[in-house]
Amino acid sequence: MKFLKDLWYLFVRHMMKTLRMPLWLFIGLMQPVLYLLLYMPLLKNMSGGAGIPADEIAKMFVPGMLVVMAMGQLFAGFSFIDEIRVGIIARWLVSPASRLSIILSLVGSQKITLFLQASLLVFIAFLFGLHVPVLGLVLTMVMVLLVGVAMASLSYAISLATKDESALASITNTFYLPIMLLSGIMLPISVAPQWIKTAALFNPFYYAVEGARCLFDGDYGNTMVLKGFGVVIALCVLMIWLALRALKKMAA
Amino acid sequence: MDIILQTNKLTKTFAGKGRQKKKVEAVKGVDLQVHKGEIFGFLGPNGAGKTTTLNMLTTLLAPTSGEATVVGHDLLKNPQKVREHIGYVSQAGGADTSATAKENLVLQSRLYGIPSAEAFKKAEMLIDRFQMKEFGDRKARTYSGGQRRRLDLALGIVHKPVLVFLDEPTTGLDPQSRAYFWEEIKRLKNDGMTVFLTTHYLEEADNLCDRVAIIDHGEIVAVDTTQQLKKQIGAESITVGFSNDAATEKAKAALSGQKFIEKLFPQENKLHLYVQDGGSLMPEVLRILDKENIQVQTIGLSKPSLDDVFLQKTGRSLREAGV
Ligand SMILES: Nc1ncnc2c1ncn2[C@@H]1O[C@H](COP(=O)(O)OP(=O)(O)O)[C@@H](O)[C@H]1O
Ligand SMILES: [Mg+2]
Repeated sequence: MKFLKDLWYLFVRHMMKTLRMPLWLFIGLMQPVLYLLLYMPLLKNMSGGAGIPADEIAKMFVPGMLVVMAMGQLFAGFSFIDEIRVGIIARWLVSPASRLSIILSLVGSQKITLFLQASLLVFIAFLFGLHVPVLGLVLTMVMVLLVGVAMASLSYAISLATKDESALASITNTFYLPIMLLSGIMLPISVAPQWIKTAALFNPFYYAVEGARCLFDGDYGNTMVLKGFGVVIALCVLMIWLALRALKKMAA
Repeated sequence: MDIILQTNKLTKTFAGKGRQKKKVEAVKGVDLQVHKGEIFGFLGPNGAGKTTTLNMLTTLLAPTSGEATVVGHDLLKNPQKVREHIGYVSQAGGADTSATAKENLVLQSRLYGIPSAEAFKKAEMLIDRFQMKEFGDRKARTYSGGQRRRLDLALGIVHKPVLVFLDEPTTGLDPQSRAYFWEEIKRLKNDGMTVFLTTHYLEEADNLCDRVAIIDHGEIVAVDTTQQLKKQIGAESITVGFSNDAATEKAKAALSGQKFIEKLFPQENKLHLYVQDGGSLMPEVLRILDKENIQVQTIGLSKPSLDDVFLQKTGRSLREAGV
C-alpha cells in the first residue's frame, strides 16, 4: 500500500537525519537526566521531615515528569520550519506521496526520541528507588507517547500555518506554563485551591497525569485511567487532523 | 499542435495580512496554452506573479478562481493525477541538505512509487548525467550553489514527467553554470519533456525558450515565439536620450509625424524609435531634431530585444525594473 510505503521511507529519512545530529540527540537525552538529578534530591529533602519514602515520591513525580517530557514535543516544529523554508515539504507535496504519511512519519520519528528520553528517565528513577508494576509502566509509556503524538502534531500544525519560528516560540511558551501548572505535574492538584481544581478539569493533561499516577500505583480500574486514555486519544485525533489540514493548505 | 497545459482565467488573490488587510492580486485571470514538447518561458520582473502561477499549476496552492487542465487532467478535480505526471523544481529547490544526493534521489523515486532496485539505478544514472559523481556521496549541505541546483533539477525529473516546471532555474548562478543549465534544459526537451520555466533574465528567455509569455502585475501582456514578439516591434530600434522632459516632449512632437518611424515610445528622458533600417535613418533623426533646435544627449542603435517588447507593453524596462 502506497500509504504504508511512503510512511516507512519518510520515517527512515527522518531517523537518519536525527541520527546524523548526535549532539541534538544527546541534548534531548540529557533532559530527563537533569530533571531527576536536580529535582529528586530536592524533593527528598523536602519530604525528609514528613517521612515519605523515596519510592512514594518517585511514584508521585515520575508520571508528571514523563508528561512534561511528552509536552516538550511541542518544540518539534522548530527544525521542521527550516525544512518548509528550504522547500523540502513543498517538494513532497508536489509528489503523489500520501499527505497523511508525511505528517505521521514526522510525528512517528519524534516518538522514537521521546521513547528513549522517557525510558532513560524511568531507568534513573529506578536507581532512586522507584517501584512500579510492569503493566502500569508499559501503559504509562503508551499514554506518554500518545501525549507526544498530540503535541508534536500541534507543533507541526502551528509551524505549517505560521512558517515562522518566533510565532511558534511565542505560542508554545504562552500555553506551556499554564497548562503545565494546571495539570498538577509538579505538585498534585489535590493541594490546590478550588478554582485551580476547577480549571484543571478543563485541562486534558490533568487527566493524562492523574491517569498515569493511577497506572504507577497499579490501580488499573480507576476511572481516571480510562478518562486519561480517552482524552489523550481524542486529542491525538484532533491534532493530527489539524496538522493534516495545515499541510494541505500550505502554500510554498 | 498538442496542448499539454491550458488555463482559463486563473486567478489568485491573497487575503491581506496586518492592519490594513490590503488584498494582493498576485495573478489576475491568466489564460495560457503550453504546447507539447516546447520550452515555454514565463518572463516577468520580481513580484509579477510567476511563482504564484506555478504553485497553482503544481497543486500547491488553490486558485481563487479559474481553472486549468494539466497533462490532460483537471487541476482542481484531479490533483493527484496531475502530480503523477509533472515535475517541479521550485525556486528554493527543496533538496534535503541533511542527506546525500543519492539518498535524496532514491527517496524521491520511492515517493513516486518507483520500486527500490530501479530507484537505486535511476539515482546512479542521474548522478552520472548531471556530473554529480564527485560530490554525490556527500551531504547536500556542503554543495556549492551550482552543485545544489543540479541536484534540484535531477530531483524534479526522477519519474520522467511529461511536463516539468522550473522556477527561476538559473537565478543566482554564475555565467558558466547558467550556460550548463541551458544545455541541460535543452536536453530535457530533446528527451521529449515539455518545459515550463520562469525567468526574469531576458537572455534566458531569448536563448532558451520556443515561446514566451510576458507577465507583469499578474497579467499576461504578450505571448508568442521570441522572433514574433520582436518582429512586432520593428526591425531595429533607435534610442535617443535628452537632458530634460521638455526636450523629450518637443522631440516627440517633432518625430511623431515621420512616416519612417513605425512606433515611437517615450521612457523617462528617452525616446525609443522602432524603424526598418536604423543605420541609414539615424542621421535623418538627428537632422530633424537639429532643425527644431533640440539638444540630443545620447543616441544608440540596437536590434529589438524582449526588453523592447516589455517596454512597449508595460511602459517600463525589465532591465531597470531590476531585481
Ligand atoms: N503568501 C502570500 N501572501 C500575500 N502575498 C503574496 C504571497 N505570495 C506572494 N505574494 C505576492 O504576490 C505577488 C506575486 O508574487 P510571486 O508570484 O512570488 O512573484 P514572482 O515569482 O513573479 O516574483 C507579489 O506581490 C507577492 O508579494
Ligand atoms: Mg518567484
